[in-house]
Amino acid sequence: MEKMNLKELAERMGLELKTQNIPIEGEVKTGYASDLLSDVLANSIEGDLWVTRQTHLNIVAIAVMRDLAGILLVNGAQPDPDTLEKAVEKMVPIFRTPLPTFEVVGRLYQLGISGER
Amino acid sequence: MLELSLHILDIVQNSLAAQASQVEIRIREDLGKDLLTLEVEDNGRGMSPELTRRVTDPFYTSRTTREVGLGLSLLKLAAERCGGRLEVRSQEGKGTKISATFGLDHFDRAPLGDMGETLAVLICGNPGVNFLYEHGVDGQTYRLATREMREILGPVSLDEPSVHDFIRQDVQQGLKKIKAASFPKIMEVLR
Repeated sequence: MEKMNLKELAERMGLELKTQNIPIEGEVKTGYASDLLSDVLANSIEGDLWVTRQTHLNIVAIAVMRDLAGILLVNGAQPDPDTLEKAVEKMVPIFRTPLPTFEVVGRLYQLGISGER
Repeated sequence: MLELSLHILDIVQNSLAAQASQVEIRIREDLGKDLLTLEVEDNGRGMSPELTRRVTDPFYTSRTTREVGLGLSLLKLAAERCGGRLEVRSQEGKGTKISATFGLDHFDRAPLGDMGETLAVLICGNPGVNFLYEHGVDGQTYRLATREMREILGPVSLDEPSVHDFIRQDVQQGLKKIKAASFPKIMEVLR
């Protein structure tokens, strides 16, 4: 499978980038989808793109703690204002899509992003 | 549900459906015990012991239009998911009291949500009902009582749009003042 960075992925999936001025050139190979923060903390791996419907500040904390590549908000959810502020400060890219989780994960998988642990 | 305020909105609808004229919503944050307690108490028509027992069963509802009512089941799930529990006490003809506890800083504790908007919607949408909201953080308490508001407002009805805005802002500012924890303090790990 071809290599892909977050930027290309966002373009091909039509994702809206919410965090400006932080790098999104890192390669992304794996993803994890969950709305339960403890579950993400336990089961995500470094470099995952995290697909979630949660929008509050603590998603940034989880992304930093697990060294995730970025966060993708589904169902058209908007990040809370303080979430966005903290994400930029901690350099965690946040994307947004109108699609629901099932659809998003399917498309990511087709593009070569795997859920393998 | 994504926020506690949505649970509250849902639970209070039960009180209103039970023809309550008084609804008291109390939230207490005990930082020392790492505990958040939510209580909704009403003077509605109450439930039989049998119904009280079954009310958190997701396949039970008193509605006739749909087979399942999920409000209390979802609240129970949200509480238990973060180390808390749900208790339902009710007496026919007297009213119902719902108590839910949550681990205050548990990772999966739902954020508080917008209590200002929630209370504004409830109060302005039900001007005939007396609402009391008390939110305590350790020693400090924010309090909003429609009974007191009516005395100040005089002839102005509670369903005026300006009252909606006043309630929303007063609650938001009041909660900020007492440093209500809108969500668990995971972020502080990073500082």
